[in-house]
Parts: sequence; C-alpha cells; structure tokens
Amino acid sequence: MTKRALLIALLVIILAPFASAQAKTPGLIAITNARIIPVVGGEIPKGTIIIKDGVIAAIGADVAVPPGAEVFDATGLRAYPGMIDGYSSLGLVEVSGVAATVDSRETGRVNPQARALEAVRYDSMHIPIARSNGITAAVVAPSGGLISGVSCLLRLDGWTNRAMAVKAAAAMHIELPGLRGARGGFGGMGRGGAQVRADGPTLLAELKELFNAARAYEKRRDAAAKNRLLALPEYNQTYECLLPLLKGEMPAMISVHSERDIRAAIAFVRDEKLKAVFYGVEQGFKAADEISKAGIPVVLGSLYDLPPVWEDGYDALFRNPGLLAKAGVKIAFSSSSASAAKDLPYHAAKAAAFGLDKTEALKAVTINTAEIFGVERTLGSLEKGKAANIVLADNDILELRTNIKRVYIDGREADLSNRYTELLEKFKRR
Amino acid sequence: MKNSKRVSSLLALSFITALILAAGPPAGDVGPTYAIRNCRIIPVVGPEVEKGTVVIRDGLIESLGPADKVKVPDDAEVVEAEGLVAYPGFISALSNLFLEQPARPEGQAAPTEVPIQAQPAAAEDRFPPGPGLFVLDQLKPKKAAVEGFHKAGFTTVLVAPIRGVFQGQSVLLNLNGEAFQPMVLRNGAALHINFTTERGSYPSSLMGTIAHIRQSFIDAEYYAARQTRYAKGPAGLKRPEYDPRLEALVPFVRDRKPVVFQCNNLEDIKRALKIIAEFKLNALLAGANEAWRGADVLKKTPIPLLVSLDFRPPAASMYVTQGEELRKKAEAEIYPANAAALAKEGIAFAFVSAANADGASVLRGVRTAIKAGLPKDEALRALTIRPARYLGLEQALGSLEPGKIANIILVKGQIFDDNAQVTKAFVDGVLFRYAEVSK
Amino acid sequence: MKKPLLSCLLGFVLLAAAALPASADGGDILIKNGTILTVTKGVIVKGDVLVMGGLIKQIGENISAPAGVRVVDATGRFVLPGIIDSHTHIALAGTNEGSEAITPEADVGTVINADDTSILTALSGGVTMVHTMHGSANPIGGPNVVLKTKWGRPSEELVVKEALPTLKFALGENVKQSGRTVQPGQIQRYPATRMGANAIIRREFLKAKNYMEQWDRYNKAAAAKNPPKNLVPPRQDLRMEVLAEVLRGNMVARCHSYQATETLEFMELAKELGFKIACFEHIWEGYKIADELAAAGIGISVFADSWAYKMEAAEGIAYNAGYCAKRGVLVSINSDSGERIRRLFNDAAKTMKYGGLSEEEALNLITINPAIQLGVDRIVGSLEVGKQGDIAIFNEHPMSAYTRCDMTIIEGDVYFDREAALKDREEAAKKAAAPRDKGGVS
Repeated sequence: MTKRALLIALLVIILAPFASAQAKTPGLIAITNARIIPVVGGEIPKGTIIIKDGVIAAIGADVAVPPGAEVFDATGLRAYPGMIDGYSSLGLVEVSGVAATVDSRETGRVNPQARALEAVRYDSMHIPIARSNGITAAVVAPSGGLISGVSCLLRLDGWTNRAMAVKAAAAMHIELPGLRGARGGFGGMGRGGAQVRADGPTLLAELKELFNAARAYEKRRDAAAKNRLLALPEYNQTYECLLPLLKGEMPAMISVHSERDIRAAIAFVRDEKLKAVFYGVEQGFKAADEISKAGIPVVLGSLYDLPPVWEDGYDALFRNPGLLAKAGVKIAFSSSSASAAKDLPYHAAKAAAFGLDKTEALKAVTINTAEIFGVERTLGSLEKGKAANIVLADNDILELRTNIKRVYIDGREADLSNRYTELLEKFKRR
Repeated sequence: MKNSKRVSSLLALSFITALILAAGPPAGDVGPTYAIRNCRIIPVVGPEVEKGTVVIRDGLIESLGPADKVKVPDDAEVVEAEGLVAYPGFISALSNLFLEQPARPEGQAAPTEVPIQAQPAAAEDRFPPGPGLFVLDQLKPKKAAVEGFHKAGFTTVLVAPIRGVFQGQSVLLNLNGEAFQPMVLRNGAALHINFTTERGSYPSSLMGTIAHIRQSFIDAEYYAARQTRYAKGPAGLKRPEYDPRLEALVPFVRDRKPVVFQCNNLEDIKRALKIIAEFKLNALLAGANEAWRGADVLKKTPIPLLVSLDFRPPAASMYVTQGEELRKKAEAEIYPANAAALAKEGIAFAFVSAANADGASVLRGVRTAIKAGLPKDEALRALTIRPARYLGLEQALGSLEPGKIANIILVKGQIFDDNAQVTKAFVDGVLFRYAEVSK
Repeated sequence: MKKPLLSCLLGFVLLAAAALPASADGGDILIKNGTILTVTKGVIVKGDVLVMGGLIKQIGENISAPAGVRVVDATGRFVLPGIIDSHTHIALAGTNEGSEAITPEADVGTVINADDTSILTALSGGVTMVHTMHGSANPIGGPNVVLKTKWGRPSEELVVKEALPTLKFALGENVKQSGRTVQPGQIQRYPATRMGANAIIRREFLKAKNYMEQWDRYNKAAAAKNPPKNLVPPRQDLRMEVLAEVLRGNMVARCHSYQATETLEFMELAKELGFKIACFEHIWEGYKIADELAAAGIGISVFADSWAYKMEAAEGIAYNAGYCAKRGVLVSINSDSGERIRRLFNDAAKTMKYGGLSEEEALNLITINPAIQLGVDRIVGSLEVGKQGDIAIFNEHPMSAYTRCDMTIIEGDVYFDREAALKDREEAAKKAAAPRDKGGVS
C-alpha cells in the first residue's frame, strides 16, 4: 500500500463517524420495533419512540421515523420508563462499614439544615450499578435523629451533583421510632423484642412544639422586617430551614412504622396542615383505610426484612404493599439502600408474589413515585413530552433474570459499565 | 426415685452419723421444751392427725400424735394451736437469700445468657467466683427476708452463689435466727454450675462455657489421678503442682459430692445431662422451668429436679420470640403448668425459691402451680420430704416425725389457700410468732 | 400423640406458620401433577413424587396414593428439592467464642437452639437444611453442625449425622478486629494483621502435631511389656483434640475469607500443614482466583450480591458466584442471615443475570451444590428415588422474582404450609374479634 493510499484510508476511518453524524440530527433518536410498556396508557406490542432534545417527541405503533434520526432497532426488547427509587442512600454511603465513606447521618436529633444534595458523591460506584439495572432516578435521603434533613431527587446520570438534581429539595425527613431493636440480620439471634420501644406520639408532640416555635420566629422576623422599630430575632437556622416545610413548599417524609404511630402521624399531618409522604409503614395494612382517606402516599421500606411484630405473620412485609394498594393508598417502592439500590424492582416483584397486582407493582417503581414527589410531568412513564428516560430490557423489568440492554436518560444513552463489569473484565483477561 | 436415693445416700449416711453423735447426753445449753396442742397435723410422712399434740424438746421433735395419746411433758411450755395446721417447715433447695444481687425488672424475660455488662460490679471481686468459693463467707443478715420466708412456710434454705460459670459452693441453713453460724446445717453443700459466660474473658459464649466445664472436669480428674499416684509413691515422679481451683473440684469428680446445674431452658437440661453422664457426676438440675418439654428424656434419666417458681419464660424461648401475646400466655399459663405436667408424667421434683427473695411471692408461685393443675399433696412433698431427700437430709428434715429437727410451721387455714397465714414457726425448736393480719 | 400438652401448645405457637410436629421416623406424602425440578435428573413437566417413610419412593407420572397417604395437589406449581443453606448461624444459642483467637473446642453442636424462630423463617423460604456455623471472630473458631429445619422437633432430631464434620476458620478484617475500638485498659487481641492470622493458625497446628506425638509416644510406652515406672499420660486438651481430628482428615476446614491473597495463602497453609479445605466462605474476590480454586477442587459458599459493607467487600461483584461456577468451581449461595435465608432462591436467580447461568445451573447453587459441599449429596440435594423426602413447592418457577414458597416438607412431613397458615391466621383474627374466653392451657 502506498503512503497516499494509507493516508486516505486513515482519513476515511477517522472521518467516518463525523460523516454519519452529519447525516443525523443530534439528539434525534428513534427506537423502533419495541414492545412498549408506557405504564400510563396501554401497552404497544410493536412501536416506535422518537426522542428529540432529551424529550419523548412521539410514541406509538404508527410513528414514522423522522429523517436524520439515529435508529435503534429494539426488536425483541421491551421499552419501559426508567424506574425511580423512592428512598435510597445512593451517593451518601459508599462502604457502609467504613465511617469515612458514610455521609447519611448527621449528629444530633434535629437537622433540617442538612441537605443530601450538598453531600452526594456523584461518582459513587453504586450509581452506575443501579442505572445499569434500569433505575434512572432516585430519592437520596438523609437518615437518623428526629429530623434527618432534606432529601433530593436525582437523575442517575451527570458529571456533577447539581447536574443530577431533578429536585434539589425533595422532602424534609422526619423519623419516628422503629418497631424493634435488634434486627434479624447476622445470626438470626436476638430478635423477639416485639414491643414498640420509644414513643411516637411523644415525638410528634415535640415536633409540634418545634413547629410552633418556628412559626412564632417567622412571625417576629417578618414583622421586624416590615417595622424597623421591632427587634430583629437572632438568626435561627433550624427554624429558617423548617419554614418551607411549614408553608407546604416541601413535603414531610415521615418514617413511621407501627399502627399506633401511623394513626398518630395521620392526625399530626392533618393538624399541622403538612404535605406528607409516609415512609416504611410496616404495619400500614392495619390502618390502610385511614391512610387512604387521609390521602397520604406511602414509600415502602425495604422488603428484605423480617416482620417486626411476630403476630403480623411471616409475610407481613410482603403482603403489606398489596393491602395498601387495595385500600387505595398510592404506594411506591424503595431500595432503602445504596449498595443494594439495583434491587428496587425485586421488592416490587416480591410484593406481587404476595398479592399486589403486577401492573400496580410496575407503577409503584415508576409513575407513582414520580407523582408522590411531584415530578410526574417529566418522569415516571413513557408519554409524549416527558423526559426520555427509557429502559430497553430483554424481559419483564421486575424479573431477576432480565438483562437491561440500553438505558436513555434525558435522551442520552447512558453508560452501562460499572464497578462490577470493570472488575469482571479485568480479571477475565487474566 | 431410685437415682435420687443414690444421689443422697452418701450424704445421708454422714448425717445420720452426726445425728447419732448428737443424740448422746446434751452438752452445754439445752433448748426449751414445747407442746403444741390441739392442732391438725400434716406430717407428710405418716397419717394425718385431726387434732393432736407435737412435743418439741431441745430442737428436736420428741413425739407427736392424737391429743389423747401424746402426753404433754411437765416441763413443756404449752402452745395452744386450736384451729391451726402443723406442717413440716418448707425447704428451698436453691435460693440466693442473704446475697446482694441485681433485680430483674418485672415482666422481663429471663436471659438465657447473662449479658456481660449486667453482672455485678467489680467491687465484689474479693469473692471471685470459682469452685473454691464458699458462699457462706459473703452472706449478709436480712431479718425481713427470714420473716418473709417463715411466713411463706420456709424454715430451711440452701443458699447458692450467683456469679460465674463455676459459681462456688452453697451452704444449707436453718432459718433459726440472725447469726449465720448457728444456722449452718452443712457448708459446702453442693457445687453450683451455671450455663452463663464470664465477664470479658474466656468463656464468653455458651459453647465456650460448655467446653470450659468439660475441660475443667477433665483437668480435675487428671489432677486427682496424679496427686493420688504421687501420694502412693513419689519416688521417681515429678511432683504435680498444687492447683487450688482443681483441688476444689476433686470431691465432685471423685467423691460424688453433689453438683447443681443451673438450667435456663430445655436445651440446658440436655446439655447438663450430657456432662453429668460424661463425668458420672452426682447432680441436680436447677431452673428446670421447661422440664415438661423434656419429659421423655427426664423419665429415662431420673435426676433430681429443682423447679423454680419464677414463671417468666427465658428470653430465647419460643414463647418469647413469637410475640408479646404468647409471652404473656406463657407466663400466666404455660410455665405455671410445668409442675403439674411433671407430676402427671411421674417425674419427681422439688420447688425452689431460686432468685426470689420475697417469701410471699414464692408461696404465691406454689399456689399458681396448683391452680394450673398440680395436686396439693404433690406440691407439699415438693416443698418438704423431697428436697430433704435430694439434700441427703431425709433423716433429719422434710416431715414431722419423732427424732427429726423441729422445723414446724403453724398455719391458720390450709397453707395453699390464698388467705392462709403462718402464725408460728419453729426452727431448730426456736419459736417465732407472727401477728395475724386481718383481711 | 405421645405429648398431648406439647402438641397443644405448639398448635397455638404455630398460628403464624402452621405445621404440625411431625413424626420422628419420617412421613408419607404424595405430591401430584406438579412441574418436578429434580435438579439431577431433569424436569418432569407434569409429574408426581411419592415419599414413604421419609424417603422418596417414586418419581414419575400417574402415581396413585397408597391408602391413608396425604395427597398434595401441585397443579400449576413447581416441586423442587428442599433448599440447603451452606452457611448460616441460625438455631444457636451464641455464635462466637470471641474472647480468644483460637477456640476449636467451642462446638456449636453443643448449643443448638431448636426454639429459634429463624427455623420457621427458613421453612417459609423452602429451606430444609442448614450448615449452622461458628462465627468469624477467630482465626480458628469451632466445629459447625448441619441441621434439618424440623421446627417443633427435639434439638437432637435436627442434627444431620451423615454430614461432613467441619471446623470454622476465619481470615481478614473480622479476625484482625479492625472494626473494633480498643477501650482504655484493654489490649489489642493478637492477631491484628493478616500476617498474624496466618502465623497463629500455623502455630496451633504445629502445637497439635506435637500433642499428637506426645500421645503417640505415651500410648506406645504404655503398651510396652515393661512400661517405665514414672510414665505419666499427657493432659487431655479439648482444643488440641479438635485440631488433631482436622490433621487426621476426619474434619475439614470451612474458611471465611474475602480477599484473594489471604485465600491463596490459606490454601498454602493447608498444603504445608496437611489438612483439607472443603469450602471458602463469602470469598468476595473468588473471581480473581477462580482457576486456583477450581484446580484445588475447593468449593465456595457466597452471597449473591450483598457487598460493600466493609473494605474487604468493596470489590465483591455480583458476577462472583456465576463467574466462578462457569470456571468450574463448586459454588453455593448462602444467607449468613436469619432473614436472607428465606429468599435464597431470589439470590440464586441473580446469577442468571450476573454470570449468565441457566435456570438449572442457578437452582444447583441452593440445592445439589451445597449438598455436595456438606457431604450429604447422597441423601439430599435433588429429587431422586432413595433420597430423603425434603421438598419445597413453589407457586411459580423458583428462579422467577414473582415466586413464593407454598409448602416445605422434610422427610415426608409437612413443616410449612402457607395455605394452612393463612387459614389459621384467619381463624385467629376471628377469635381476636370475638369476646375473649378464659380458656386454660390445654
């Protein structure tokens, strides 16, 4: 081969991608021949989705592929909306046993000033693993104390924490006591403490006082702002940070577990006129009608746990979601984890094995979650105008054996490589 | 039964010798003589007497029988007991009376393994637990406890140490006053072993404890064998080193001195039985609250059972781990029925007060067991002749018979009825009077 | 029958997971019309399994029930061998003798707790056998025990005597006690490094060899015609006795390890000292040394994907189990937990996604593979005529996320029956709603 010929060949190789890109319109993608499960609206056995500028521009059985579109033939694949984790510690916890890598729990009991977004490690090794299993958004929540802080809702793609934020402030987290002390983890010993240890109603009374103090503070502050003769109250960060919650600009996400505390929390939410989401809710099935009537949605805790109260039955956590849904409660699932965030769909499937309708199970990892956090205009289903968060899977997305073949987040094809695959590939080369 | 006789034969023998020696001409102080008249006598061994007389002389029962057959001696102080019932004083073959101990909060399940931090403070370390500890050295007088026990019918208690795996050796006391020395029936009555753990050191787990108990008995046997051999002919043999801990264990592995295993649940009973068989120990099983669950095993290997009157189920029991409702039921109904079930299966046992220092609630416990189906005469034997036999003292205690120690309670009403009251108690022939409380 | 009081009590106890205390010598049962996943002999799409006297008597189609034998209709359901958990700590009173580093005398077989409700939890997930182990606090822990999950039966009946005797070893962060803060007045326990852990194991085995030699010499001298007059036997040492059993090959090592280096070095140690390793536990970096493991014929018992809870688990990839299996390592999925034990089938299914195992290969990880690891594959681990009738019935394929265990059978006796449990629950609810009567114990 002559030098010239070589140069031309080289140029062809280098320029080839540009050549094809020039023929295509950037950000214009057509996914064709997919079995589309849009979650909202009926299933489309064989359809096309058009993505334009990060948004679903068209979806349907008879959608034409626009010129210039990059086409992905999804024959044999199903298209789902990206799943949303209703409660996680993604980016806050890296290696749970190494304190230096844990940023989820602030010291002290009342921390409304703590904002998860400001601590999220956006290149956490757990995020790509969750993403490669079809989870495209997650609530990242602080934990511990009575008021744990403010969660954020992230899209699981982006080069900085701020770039990932769908909602910088998703909810204010309040924690009522759990139903049991020792957990049935390692060893399976030491359980049996079925009693409710700490007192939920007492904590709610404490919150009430705190909220009143914050409202009084606001009143003095605002009055002093209008009238310079009035003394300006000293700046109080706790009160300041509680105000968005008290004004209904941000929901309270209340971790509540026992039947008694659930009832108390319903009354509390009503009395304080809060926008609220319940989290955990292990004994929810015992007050399902009340929760439903109060219109408070529920994000379920991990189902990878034993029933905290023996008398509730061995399958209490598994059938709880089904019973709540049946009573008309809007439910969403959560991983309640960072290292096991990828397991979100399996919690939903487990509940489906114990009575939850399968379609409802799918909603509870997609559109329900979006609605609960007020992002249903952009997330949670495959509909025209929504963000193009699309997962292409070779099987039912809630199934353990299913492989996720492609993920789009805001119309960009996401990188599905992760810590697992990198290490595997490295040692495969051995 | 056969076994329990075997258990105590050796000790009984030594005690009889002591009695024979004591039966000679009295030396020193002579105790008073009493004649209890017109009482109903329930002697436990022998026929009941509807209206009779009991004569007490110098701490012993001299005679008893129907009023017309027993003469009131001239030197006797007459105790009029019309309307009262005379019983032999009750024996608790296991208690922690006169010992400081952390109380268990009401309603809380008994722990299977004593948590390390819950053990008593280090201040008590001048009595480190171990087979060589004699609990007598750490007793503190408690008049109220004696009174309380008298009022519940108890005149004799075995006091056992409470800490450690090898807890030490107990003392058998007649509750005859306030000074301990005159109370002692036998010091070093038994070695007490508990399936618990040691504080911050080996063994820290139950499986370690079991290995530790076994290794200790192996070592004691090895020690005894070497010592014996050396004593026979030391020439050419290296002198085995003196070891106080092993030395204290030798009588229990070699001479069948009694060993009491504190069993917190059915599994502990099985664990104890294995160790007892391995080292051919002369043993008693304390705790035994779940003995009914092991009726099959216990029928095969009859070993004296000391059944506690504390009906709170142990923490690891399946009656606790399956919810509060079942735990409550277990405490109220299932565990109190243990004694009745054992009686029904023909398994003999004695009741013990164990850690409970409140006499009244101990007696309430007996009444609860009776309400749960235990025949009253079984209950009575379990508090009198049976523990006497288990402790090798059936010649001296446990029934109202001439020649026995004058431990007698006089009761207004039947002792197991809710409103019965002990109004008088004789212990070693010493009279204690208790005011009747009107209800 | 023989224990009226007991059975009545159990009747109450089991309201949440109904099962009657079964017979001591094995029951009879016929399961009809299920999809039979035999594990070793393929799948029968519509078949029956007959268990008589606790053993599988017949597998096939159109088997009719002998008189008086209970028939379970498994139409539309999946019938598989009882699930086996190769590594748990359930049904024990205590897990670790952590006060010292070397405690082979601390035998978990002496502290079985048949009252542990984790047994019920295991049954509700189709688990019929567990290898319940000493904890990982010590380089040399204690002997482990294999149990059947026969809830309600006396503890001694749970023990599987046919199983391989195993001794627990541990390496890495747990035995270094790197997660423990040494309090004032305490001293750091030796070993505090992986170097020390290896050295202390080597030391103890060399001591055990010395101990064996002393006894050997004594026995020979004692057996001589004219034994020396001052002959004294050595002290019997329970700790050394157990290590001697390992050296004699009567007991095999099950070693908790995470990292590649410590694992390889333990293999070197076993070669050097002459003992056998049956299995490595957890071994998150197994995929890095899959070839060495396969070549040595050493199995691994691992989590599916519970990782990143400590530094040595930070490279624990979900592909570990599947990849090692593909490379020829005998792999089982374990729970190590009184909760995860009821969803081992979910964990096994994850290897299909991470590792590309087939349905059958994935199911092996919780049935025949652990059975081989425990030396009980002759009696359990698959549905074959002559094996013990340990069976689980699931409503959907056990490797589906939507599956649920409906019934668990051990040696022909039903220990978990979801339908019966639900009925009992309903009745209990009715009872609770009705005014209370004062009923006695029995």
